[in-house]
Parts: sequence; C-alpha cells; structure tokens
Amino acid sequence: MVNEYLKPKTLDEALAALAVPGSVALAGGTWLLVGEEHGTKGDLGRAVDIGELVPSDIGRKGTTARVGAGATFQALADSPALPACLRKSALSMANRNTRNRATLGGNLGADKSCASLVPILLALDATLEYAVRGADGKAATKTAPLAAWLERKDGLALTVSFEAPAGLLAASGRASRTACDVATATVGAAYRLEGGAVKDLRIAMGGFGPRARRMPKLEALFEGKALPDKAGIEKLAEPLLDAISDQRGSAAYKKRRGAVILADALAGAEALS
Amino acid sequence: MKVNFELNGRAASWNVEPGTTLLDALRAKGIVSVRNGCDGEGSCGLCAVLLDGKQVNSCQILAVQVEGKKVYTVDFYSKDRKLSGVQQALIDAACVQCGYCTPAVTLALHELLERSPDPSGDEVRDALSGTLCRCTGYEQFFNAARIAAKRLKEPAYAEAAAPEFAPELRHVGKDRGKVDAAALARGERAFVEDKVPSDACHLLILQSPHAHAWVRKVDVSKAEKLPGVVAVVTKDNCPDQVYTTAGQGFPEPSPHDQRMFPRKVRHVGDRVAAVLAESLEEARAALAAIEVEYEVLPPVLSIAEARRPGAPVVHHGKVSYVVGDPPAGSSTEGDGRDDPIVYQFPLHADPHRNLAASVADGIGDVDKGFAEADVVIERTYKGNRVQCTPMEPHVVLAKVEADRLVLHASTQVPWHVRRIVSRVVGLPEHKVRIIKERVGGGFGAKQDIVVEDLAGYLAWKTGRTVFFRYDRAQEFAASRTRHLMEITVKLGAKKDGTLTAILMKLDADTGPYGQHCLTVPMNAISKSLPLLLCDNARFEVKSYYTNLAPAGAYQGYGAPKGSFALQTALAELAAELGMDQLELIEKNRVRSGSRIEILRSLGEGRPGAAVTLGECGLGEMIARGKKAFAWDAPRSAADGDWRIGRGAVIIQQGSGLPGLDAANAELRLLQGGTLLMLSGGADLGTGLDTVTTKAAAEIMGLDMEDVAVVSGDTDTTPFDKGAYASSGTYFSGNAAVKAAEDLKRKCLEAAAVMLGESVSDLVLVHRGVVKGKKGQVTLAELAHQGVQGEGHHELTGFGNFKTEHAAFPYGAHFVEAAVNVRSGEVKLRRYHAYQDCGTPINPALALGQIYGGVMKAVGHSLYEELLFDEKGKPLNLGFLDYKIPSIYEVPEDFHVELVPVADEVGPFGGKSVSEISLNGSAPAIAIAIHDAVGAWCREWPFTPERILRAMGKLS
Ligand SMILES: Cc1cc2nc3c(=O)[nH]c(=O)nc-3n(C[C@H](O)[C@H](O)[C@H](O)COP(=O)(O)OP(=O)(O)OC[C@H]3O[C@@H](n4cnc5c(N)ncnc54)[C@H](O)[C@@H]3O)c2cc1C
Ligand code: FES
Ligand code: FES
Repeated sequence: MVNEYLKPKTLDEALAALAVPGSVALAGGTWLLVGEEHGTKGDLGRAVDIGELVPSDIGRKGTTARVGAGATFQALADSPALPACLRKSALSMANRNTRNRATLGGNLGADKSCASLVPILLALDATLEYAVRGADGKAATKTAPLAAWLERKDGLALTVSFEAPAGLLAASGRASRTACDVATATVGAAYRLEGGAVKDLRIAMGGFGPRARRMPKLEALFEGKALPDKAGIEKLAEPLLDAISDQRGSAAYKKRRGAVILADALAGAEALS
Repeated sequence: MKVNFELNGRAASWNVEPGTTLLDALRAKGIVSVRNGCDGEGSCGLCAVLLDGKQVNSCQILAVQVEGKKVYTVDFYSKDRKLSGVQQALIDAACVQCGYCTPAVTLALHELLERSPDPSGDEVRDALSGTLCRCTGYEQFFNAARIAAKRLKEPAYAEAAAPEFAPELRHVGKDRGKVDAAALARGERAFVEDKVPSDACHLLILQSPHAHAWVRKVDVSKAEKLPGVVAVVTKDNCPDQVYTTAGQGFPEPSPHDQRMFPRKVRHVGDRVAAVLAESLEEARAALAAIEVEYEVLPPVLSIAEARRPGAPVVHHGKVSYVVGDPPAGSSTEGDGRDDPIVYQFPLHADPHRNLAASVADGIGDVDKGFAEADVVIERTYKGNRVQCTPMEPHVVLAKVEADRLVLHASTQVPWHVRRIVSRVVGLPEHKVRIIKERVGGGFGAKQDIVVEDLAGYLAWKTGRTVFFRYDRAQEFAASRTRHLMEITVKLGAKKDGTLTAILMKLDADTGPYGQHCLTVPMNAISKSLPLLLCDNARFEVKSYYTNLAPAGAYQGYGAPKGSFALQTALAELAAELGMDQLELIEKNRVRSGSRIEILRSLGEGRPGAAVTLGECGLGEMIARGKKAFAWDAPRSAADGDWRIGRGAVIIQQGSGLPGLDAANAELRLLQGGTLLMLSGGADLGTGLDTVTTKAAAEIMGLDMEDVAVVSGDTDTTPFDKGAYASSGTYFSGNAAVKAAEDLKRKCLEAAAVMLGESVSDLVLVHRGVVKGKKGQVTLAELAHQGVQGEGHHELTGFGNFKTEHAAFPYGAHFVEAAVNVRSGEVKLRRYHAYQDCGTPINPALALGQIYGGVMKAVGHSLYEELLFDEKGKPLNLGFLDYKIPSIYEVPEDFHVELVPVADEVGPFGGKSVSEISLNGSAPAIAIAIHDAVGAWCREWPFTPERILRAMGKLS
C-alpha cells in the first residue's frame, strides 16, 4: 500500500526523496502497483513519481539510437527511429493498456527474468545514462554499460543508447503460452557475419535464471564459426540452458523452448537499419 | 491529498488518500462503469479509462497521479443516456452479452477510431488486446469495429449481424437488439457491486492454507475487539447443519456434505472464519488478528489416491439417507468428529472410501459386442480442472428490510438460492427475497450458492447490510471448477466401421464437496453416447472426493469431457481401420428417425425411455463443413515448421431437464396497451430477457419497445428452476410463450364481450388491435376497461412450462490447426461451428453464444488448467498465470453457421444453443493435431509440452 505520494519537479528533488528509506521510484506502475487495488503487494511506503521526470524522447542520430527511460512500451513500438527487433520486443507485451503505461525505465528497474526489453538491449550492448545523488546532494549523471548497471541498479535510469551500425544483425524472440502470458523464454541476439563466420555474437536470454542476462556459454558455441542450421543450434544450445519447472512448464520443456527461440533468432537476425 | 483533473470533460477536484487507485476513486464517486475483474493485476482491462486519450488500466494508477490530466470513462459517451456510435455498433453486432466488459471495449474502440478511422483487423486485435471477455469469443468485436468505422463516414450504415429466420414471424428470428444492452453499454448501475450503499459492512473470509486439516482451534478474541468489527463467525458459532451448495431442484442429487464452516477443512481456500466489519480495512485487520490451530492431514490429490485402499478419508462423518438405504457394504458410521453427510436418496456412494457417487448401466451386451468386433481399441482420456472465470466474480449484497432478508444476487438460480439460504439461516421461504441483478457471467459457477449463505446469515444475525465479493484469487481457489475426469473408452467395430460395442468408464474428481458429483459426470455420458447408434453400450461412472478445488457446474456440464473422449476415440478407431474419420461418423451417427435406445438407461435419475428422433440436421451440418474445408481434397501443405491438420466432430446437448424442471411467467397488460413480462428466468447475459420480450411482442402483436421485462426476482416473478442445463430459451422462453398465449386468449375473450362478437371471429393484429367482423378494439382500450369499475378484471396471462419431450440440439465442428513441430505450439487457422438451435429466436445473439462457447472450450483445450503443488495448493490464482484466451487466440477463420431444425415443443421451434458449443473444440483440435503431426494428445489442455511429448520429442 502506498501511504505517501510525492511528485518531484527536478531530478535533484527526486533523488533526495528516494534517499529516504522506504521510498520507491514509481514510473508506469504496471509492476509496482500490481495488487495495489487490494493491498496485496504489501507496504510500498513512499511512492516517488518519476514517470514524467525522466526523459521519454526516442531518437536516432546516425547509427546511435537513444530511448528515454520514461518512454512507454507503446512509444517504443510506434517509433520509426528504432530497429524492428526492439519494436517487436516492445510489442511482445501483447496488452495495449499496459503498453500505454509501462516504461522502459520500469522494465530495467523491475529487471525480471521475463523482461521484454532487457535481452535485446543487452544483445545490442546498450549503454545507460543514469542519475545518482552526488555528494553535494545534487543529481549527477553517469554512464555505464546497461549490463553493468543492471547488476546494481543505482539511481534513476535516464536514457538508453545503442549503436546500430551497418552490418550488425539482430533479432529478438519471446515464447509464452498465450500472447498475453508472462514469457516462458525470451531472447535477444546480435552479431556480424565476417566471411560467413559469426563475429561479436551477443546472446541474452530470459527465463533461464532469476534475471534476463547475457549467456557467454551460448555465445562461445557459435562465435567465429559458421552458423549451424536451426536443428544444429538447438542441439548445441539446449544442454547449456538451465531452467526450473513451474506452472509454465517443466525444465525440460523450457530448455527446448529456449533452444528453439534462440535458433529462430540467430537464423532470423536482420540488419538494424 | 487533493487531485485536480478533468473528468469526462468537466473539472474535478477530489480529496483522495495517496494509496487510493484511480479505479477505487472513480467507483467511490459513482462512476461504476469502471469494473474490477482482476483485483489490480492489470490483466483484465475492465477498469480501463482513457487517460489523456490513451487506454490504460485505472487499477494500476494512483488517483493522485491524474493531477492535471484528462480522464474519460464510458460515461462521457453516454451523456443524457444517449449511445455513441461505438456503443450502438457493439449492440448491433451482438457484442453485449453479460455487458461486464462492454464499457472497456467501448473505450478501446473509441481510442482506436480516433487513431485509425478505418482500422484493420490487426489494429482491432491490438486495441482490444488488454481487454478480457469471457462471454463473446471476441469475433463479433471485429464486426462492431467495422460498423462503427463505417458509420463515421456514413451515419446510416447498417449491416445484418446474422441471417434472418422464420419469415412468417415479425420479431422471432430477426435481430431486434438485446433488451438490456443499451444500459449495459452505457455502464449504468446494473450489477450487485453497483448497488452497495456507503454504509454497507464488508464481509471477508479467512481461508484454509491447508488442503486437508482439522481446525483444532480458532481464536477470534483479538479480532472481535478490533474497531469496526461487527461479527466474527467460525465453526464454533455457525449454524450446525450440512447442506449442498448445488443449485439444483429439490431433493438434490448431491450430498448435503458442507457445513458453513467445516470442522475439517478439505481444500486450500476452504472457509475457516468470516469477519463482518464496517470497512474493508477494518475487516482486513480483524482477519489478520485471527489465530488458527490446525492439525494437518495428508491430502488426497488425485483420483488414483482417492480410490486407493487405505487412502486418507476426505469425509468421515456419519452418513445418512433421507429416502432409501445405504448401498450394501458401504460405510456409514462416522468417526465422531467430522461433519455428517446426508444423501437425499441413494447415489451408490461410499464416502468413507472417498466415493461420492456412482452409477452404471447400459443396453445390450458389450462383451458380446466386443467379441463380434474385427477391431477393438481402448484409450484413456483426461480432462483437467478448469475454472469458469466469469469476469464478475461471486458477489452478493444482503440486507434486512421490513423484517425480511433480501439478497441482491449474481446468480443463475434465484429460487434455489432462496430455498438453501432460508434453510441455512433458519427462516421460512416467505421471509427471504432474492433479487437477481445483472450477472457478469455465470457459466455454471453461479449455479452454486458460494457466497449467499454466509452473507445472508450474517445480515440476518446482525441486521446490518452485508457486502461480500470474492476477489479474483478467491474466485480461482474456491469457486467452482469443471470436474477433472479420466475417461476410458473401449470401442469395437466391424471392418466396415459398424460399431459393435461401446464401453465408457468415467472417473471424476468432485473435489472436497459433492455438489453436482453425479449429474455432471453422468452428463458426460448422456450427451455423448446417444450420438452413436450401437446396440451394445455400457457406462460406469464414479465420482471421488479429493482435497483439490471444488468442482461443480460449468457450461456443458460434463458433456465437453465425454465428447472429447468418445469423439477422439472414434477418430482413433478410424485411424486403426484406415478410414476417413467422417466416414466412420457417418456410418454410426444418429439421423432423422433414428431410435435412440441408449436413452433407456440415461433417465437423469428417473426411468429413461428410448426416443425416436424427428428430423436431425447433422447430415446437412457435416455436408456444409466438408464443403467449406474441401474435405475430400488433399490437406494444406506444411508451412515451414508448421504442419497442417484437420479434425471434425459431431456434438449434441439437451434443452433443459424434461420431467424434472419447470418454468413460469406472467404477462400483464398495462395501461396504454403495453406489456410487463414477469419472467422467473435468470438472464446471465445470454439474452433470455430478449427471448421472453420477443415472445410477448410476437404473440401480442406489439413491438419489443412495448414490452418491459422483470426477471429473476423471487418476490415479483413466478418460480423458475433457474438458468442451467441449457434450459433458458426452452423452459423459460416457453413459459413466456404460454403466458402471452394466455393473455392473448383473455384479451380476445374480453374484446368479444366489448364488441359483441364471437371469439372465433376476432384476430389480434400488429400494433395491438383486436379486429372483429364488425368492429375493433385496441389493447389500450382493453387495458383501460380492466381497471374501470364497470369493466372486466385486469388482464394477466400466466404460463407454466414443463415437458416430457427431449429436444436435442446438434452440431458439427470443423477445425484446421497448424502445429509447430519444433515448439509444439498450436495455431487455429480455421474453426467452423455448424449448429442447430431450432428456430434461432435472436440469431446474432445465438451466434455470439456459440462464438463465446467455442472460445471457452478452445481455452480449455489449449491453455487452461488449474494447477496445484504437491500439497494441494493452487498455483495459478489470477489471469496472469491462468490463461483464458484473449482476442489474440481467436482462430484466423472463425465461422459459425446456424442450421436450424425447428423443434415441435420449443418456443417458436427454438432449442438451446450455448452449452453445446463447448463440446466440439477438444476432440476436433486433438484430431487435427493428430492429422498434422501423427500424435494423439489424450490430455487437455494440449500444451506445447504435452504435444512434444506425444510426438516423442520430449522425454
Ligand atoms: C498485464 C501485464 C502484462 C505485462 N507484460 C509484460 C511483458 O510482456 N514484458 C515485460 O517485460 N513486462 C511485462 N509486465 C510487467 C511490467 O509492465 C513491466 O516490467 C514494465 O516495464 C514496468 O514498467 P513501469 O513503468 O510500469 O514500472 P513501475 O511499475 O513503475 O516500476 C517497476 C520498477 O522499476 C523501478 N523504476 C521505474 N522507473 C525507473 C527508473 N527510471 N530508474 C530506475 N528504476 C526505475 C521502480 O522503482 C520499480 O522497482 C506486465 C505487467 C502487466 C500488469
Ligand atoms: S481490474 Fe484493472 S486490469 Fe483488471
Ligand atoms: S460480455 Fe464480455 S465479459 Fe461478458
């Protein structure tokens, strides 16, 4: 239950408010306020509404794309500035009502294993601009690889950026029981092809651990080699996936499902332009 | 906190608590069109508003967050009780069934048309992707969007929502709109939750965390002392009697085995205590202060465990029979501790061995039949537990008025509620009134008295007004599920496909209590076996107690599972015989004039009788399906990883319970020559009130606008058995017909006196004029005479309907499915349902019932299953985890066609329509999956995982 609500006007104020124990940043609220209706989520304490404070613009300059943390999933899905694989990830939240509220920042902040945007952004080796409270009490903007920030999630995410150079191929994928279900497995993959061999391969997957993360062992399978056919990819990848059995399927099935979406993503990767 | 914003175009300035959601704030201010379907999970979309022009869920927004923003609800479009183009289009396209989702759908389409005035199907799908509807099957939403879009450019645009039938009739067989649709589309106060006064007390229950445990001690001392607490009830102070919650005709074929608060809890979610408090927060605090001591017992979590000798005993109380003797060898002596069980009559039960009921019967000699067969197959099919999930959960408002107990209920069975509640509370029936409000979906779950007993008891005990609503998790854990069933089918056939013997052995899991424990599993037999003509047929049905979620009625009432088993087995036999599955069906199916001998042993608890079928439309339905699917041509080629397969099945249902049930209606002629229909029938969104209105208008020569209907109120309308067993149109509709015919006769008699002519010379013609050879008199004049001192009495018609005639609706469903050989996923490319509902009274609404029924069954077949952990704790208690289909799951080519064969007894030749439509999906999809990938899936839902396993691709 939220028992105090603040809507700071500046980042300085927001970070100061968040520094008070028991405070939580509130963006779209689609994760934070689940069950708020009936107080089932427990005590949320002080909600600091930053949804409209953090940037929400989406743009592209040359090969660099930038997305504000306040951008909603729907804005991502609608933006012609973004590559198809990222827009597809945003659209894979197959619920327009939620897409109209849910933000990129919230997706990073919640950092769930089933997060739609995290795998593809990790595969694109995204960088995050974020704000922390400096020693002077003022907001200080910092930059870090998204992968690194996700390990500590300090401060407020402001803007994600990534490079979309010519020659980079990328794809995202998601498996779920129904369109609107929580994902069983997600994938983001990006690589270049050099003389028929895979180079700079980055694979991130969700559903195979508590968070969606890069999968170095999977990357190592294919780096520097010609990509096998889908069956070949599945055969190599499946044993390396680690899953738990739950209501969305047994561990064995999830490993299979993960291997299949990985194979589809690697085989179906497209240029980012 | 203060929040200033624009609400529906006007400035609003409200004081709200920081944690109050926009949904709660709006409802508290009387904007009831925003509905709560998932308790803040964000998964149903029924609480939607337009926030700065975008559709969002108000349950996940704090009211304070809308400062400076524009909030629009459907009320904006309903100003001055007018309808917007979208609302009208939804009505015209027959999209308003229960109407619980209609405001949200309206907003979504308004937002869509604003963005895209000529939307594609994909855009409609996307716009409605966040909105769940359990009634309609979504298909007609596409039509509504198209109509609304066309009307933007061409306001007079109209299109037929369905073909017309019965050309000789004015209203019947034509689409005339649904009588309650406009109010529901406007989001007006219609449901129980919309009628809760601000001083109502809130009732919350403490539910068992254990599947099976003695409740040793419930300490309520702290809870009782907390502020605002009005009453606390537990096993120690509740009425000491057992009853059944099954809303069936008395004496019920269900054991009375449930105490308001059991001494031993029998499933996770069973009642342990209830708190009545002046506010929700106070009730929550008191609930948290109750301390319970349990003695945990090993639970029974499967049928196999239930029947194992020495298994834990779910019910160990004394067993007694009101009529008849216990079956020989059964145990009746209680353990002295558990609640008793009272059977109204013997159901071949042995509860202390977990057997709640059983029955076995048949015709001919199956052993001989199998001996004569060239091929014999035996297969076992399993259908798991699925939840009804009406979008409005169980809810009731109970109050004391003029020394009587009054319940505003969301129920399918007002009279059964009255009977059971009066018994539980200890009141004679005349002291209890049940008013059925609009029902936000029932589907069988609201055939049971799930919340009314407790709310009624506490209202009467305390004199306070009691509001009791299950939240979504409670609805999942402690409402009523479709029985899990394991059905073994053994078929014997000659080489040419002629069936020589059928044996169906069915084991059902009724859960912790025995409501519908015999009748639901029996219906799996009685609505599947009679489709096939075979001289030797036998069934054995057993229903077991377990410690899983309570089972009960669910649309189709067992038939979907029987149909799954028998129709799939028939297709397996066809494969074994190397025959086309439709050829095998053709060889053995019932047809016009067939003598259905098996009905001798399927008498619904009474001696049955063989029936000679009149006309049967199955041949025509199969022919249409075969043509549409080019059945005799090679099937579609594979598409990448997707293999394409087809399946077809025949299905049937009944139309009410002949000889068991009855319905009544009264029709009053009012001043001005209009009519008031008082129907006992309970309209759950199915359009029953429209059926009774049409009957009155048709017979009395008036228009539907001339008829008002009041229904399902035990004080003001006459008795009706309730809305179950596909009886609405057939029973309640026929009662209305009879009431109208009675009134018409009385009007003609009165007119004969007024005109001085003989009744045989009079006719009642359109717009309510009685014409004779010499003169004429209007219904308005007749009505006026009815209230004059010198005139005749007030003119009222009364209709009672009961019958011994069984009216079977039939259907043929055809499916084309694509199965991904790598992932096991299934996509429904085509789904055609051909159905005979007799004369369709409301054709577009009938289509909607079928689309909705099919989509529920598609959900059951592919996605839905209530899951439990190893201790019996349910795992998926919300729509995020338990997946009912959204608009994305609708088959690409989804087509319903009515193939009517008029029934001689039904109203205007009508039969039932909705329940039957759930019987086809599971077998048709299973057969199509096999056709695609060569693997039989014998357990629903056919999840990708089960399909991969059936294909041998996953160990
Ligand atoms: C019906 C439904 C379907 C969903 N489907 C999906 C899906 O398909 N894919 C998916 O990934 N998720 C899904 N979600 C979960 C949720 O919508 C997403 O995780 C979403 O991105 C959360 O964003 P938000 O803006 O609503 O975050 P909030 O709920 O406001 O916040 C989420 C977390 O992020 C933190 N946070 C917010 N903004 C920032 C910031 N700028 N910097 C640092 N931390 C921040 C918050 O403090 C909080 O811990 C679904 C949710 C619902 C209700
Ligand atoms: S109540 Fe808001 S989405 Fe269900
Ligand atoms: S009409 Fe949509 S939920 Fe009933």
